[in-house]
Amino acid sequence: MREISYAQAINEALYQAMELSDDVIVLGQLVDYKPAIFGTTKGLADKFGPQRVRDFPIAENIMTSTAMGAALTGIRPVIVHPRIDFMMYSLDPIVNWLSLWRFKSNGQSDMPVTIRAIIGKGWGQGPQHSKSPHAWFAHLPGIRVAMPATAHDVKGLLLESIFGENPTICIEHRALYSMLDNVPKEPYRVRFGQAVIRREGVDVTIIAAGLTVPLALRAAQLLVEDSIDAEVIDLRTISPLDRKTIRDSVSKTKRLVAADSGWPYAGLAAEIIATVAETHADQLKANPVRVTLPDSHTPTSYALEDKYYLNENLIAQKVRTLF
Amino acid sequence: MTEISHDIILESGKYKNLSITNTDPEVVLNLYRFMLRLRRLQEQIINQYHPADQIRCPVHFCIGQEAVPAAISQLIGTDDFLFGPHRSHGYYLAKGGSMKALLAELYGRQTGANGGKTGSQEISVPAIKFYSGAILSGLLAIAVGVGLGFKLKNQNNVAVVGFGDGAIDEGIFWEAITYAQLAKLPVVFVCENNRYSTYSPQLKRQPKDDIHTRVEAFGLMTQSLFGNDVIAVMSAMSRALEYARSEKGPAFIETYTYRWKGHVGPEDDDYIGYRPQSELDFWKDNCPIALLEEQMTARNLIKPALKQKLLADIDKEIAEAFEFAKNSPFPTDQDWENLNYNNSSSLADKLLQDTINSEQFNQNQLETVPAPY
Repeated sequence: MREISYAQAINEALYQAMELSDDVIVLGQLVDYKPAIFGTTKGLADKFGPQRVRDFPIAENIMTSTAMGAALTGIRPVIVHPRIDFMMYSLDPIVNWLSLWRFKSNGQSDMPVTIRAIIGKGWGQGPQHSKSPHAWFAHLPGIRVAMPATAHDVKGLLLESIFGENPTICIEHRALYSMLDNVPKEPYRVRFGQAVIRREGVDVTIIAAGLTVPLALRAAQLLVEDSIDAEVIDLRTISPLDRKTIRDSVSKTKRLVAADSGWPYAGLAAEIIATVAETHADQLKANPVRVTLPDSHTPTSYALEDKYYLNENLIAQKVRTLF
Repeated sequence: MTEISHDIILESGKYKNLSITNTDPEVVLNLYRFMLRLRRLQEQIINQYHPADQIRCPVHFCIGQEAVPAAISQLIGTDDFLFGPHRSHGYYLAKGGSMKALLAELYGRQTGANGGKTGSQEISVPAIKFYSGAILSGLLAIAVGVGLGFKLKNQNNVAVVGFGDGAIDEGIFWEAITYAQLAKLPVVFVCENNRYSTYSPQLKRQPKDDIHTRVEAFGLMTQSLFGNDVIAVMSAMSRALEYARSEKGPAFIETYTYRWKGHVGPEDDDYIGYRPQSELDFWKDNCPIALLEEQMTARNLIKPALKQKLLADIDKEIAEAFEFAKNSPFPTDQDWENLNYNNSSSLADKLLQDTINSEQFNQNQLETVPAPY
């Protein structure tokens, strides 16, 4: 197997999807230019042409509605938002139409739209270029939300999203883009609702998703020095959530830390803790802990960025409080 | 384009320009029957609504606005898509929707068009490519996407979408016509300007009664006309469909018309005093059905006996549909998962291998160092 980067894996997923089916199209601002959305749409316009790889007016609302309508005729659109912040213009079509389209047709009509939503981080991107409201979308019935942490998973989850029948939002943290992983050459799927154990352990369960996966793994390394053997679980998708894997792990370890690269209030970490509390509260040896961003928007000064964001030291520190 | 506006229409007095001389008599009869059927259905729903209270969903009646759906019913193709707003019973019937399934949906029954999931204001029938929904302007934006799909697939079909003057307030309308024009998409936008968005008159929300003028500036093929002349509406619709179908780009029609009943529900809401009684009286005096019937009578296309027969047939159909609805079972389905998510994936099953081992991930690497862009 060969190693490629997260960004290259996204590119390969799109390329292969567009080869497998003429119905797959890519919409997004600047998708057909050289920078190619951080390399992820590289080569697509050259190979598949301007009808299928479409630069779009800076109108995310109509872009999303256009993708949705096209899906009704059999097209499988992939929308790219270089920043999830820009996606907010399209909240109405997502919330009021896309998420409930299947429901209101009594299960007779689907809109298999895939939305790639990229999270920015660092270099002073600030509060309008670095949000991660993944919990909002997981909260909404009718939308699937993927949060792949590895190159292998982002390729498989994108392909699954494109060729599955549900509207999907694929949350891609840009900080993961250069990270390498073994990625099979052939087109394959990673299914929704199947978390994976990245590191087996017995003392504490660390649940992570997206960016917090490598952080949690590094934290687990640090914790070896404290004789703490941490189990790290990569959720891969947050809607559906693999509650069984979470609960099975906590059954074993009796300690829970939820590491989430979002805000604390009613966020992903809160959902993980609620999931465990519902069935395993009486088994826990310590109160569950969430490691999240502060309840704040992102500062721009790099001095403050360092204090704002999660890192492995913070996660390890919080894990130690359970012992 | 000759100037037209609500004020000009009111000032011009009773409409006298409907002419059926250039229309196939069979088509005239079809239009007449369609409008009569729609009108009677609306009236019956109103009669049955209170105090029985078995219809427990908001219903937005289209009495007075029968001409546009009638015209569409004669022109739209099976493979064309039709989208309507919250006030869509006419559009539903125009696309061939079943009256039984419509009423059963209003009654919240399992046999309703959407199994009781949507009621009146969001009713859809995917099998006949008819969709409606209540969030303003949402479907005119989605129609643009359908147009794109047709274009990508080289299908000679059109997406027709109806909405009101209120929908023009939303920004998405302007995004939609811009993109449709830019990409030259086969979409026909039909604006039924009935002057009011619930209680708010057009001139309280828009600087001028000139929607068609503003839209024309965006490059679309634009028409505007008195919307209760069903023959003229049909001509305009035919021109618009031909234009869109010939890949020249999107077309826009503004039809000036009026809603007789309240915004929602079987009651009148004129006690609120948001519109002048004289205005309502004018439009009732220019009823689309009466205007057509006048000309049909003048040319012996309709006689009282035939009208009685038509009404009898229509009323019988309506009565049977109500029977059907009232006797239908309620839905019991609580498979919320399957109602909201489609867990089948035949295409993915066919094209993708299952996950190959992904558990091993080398965490001994750093994240991307952030850069200026």
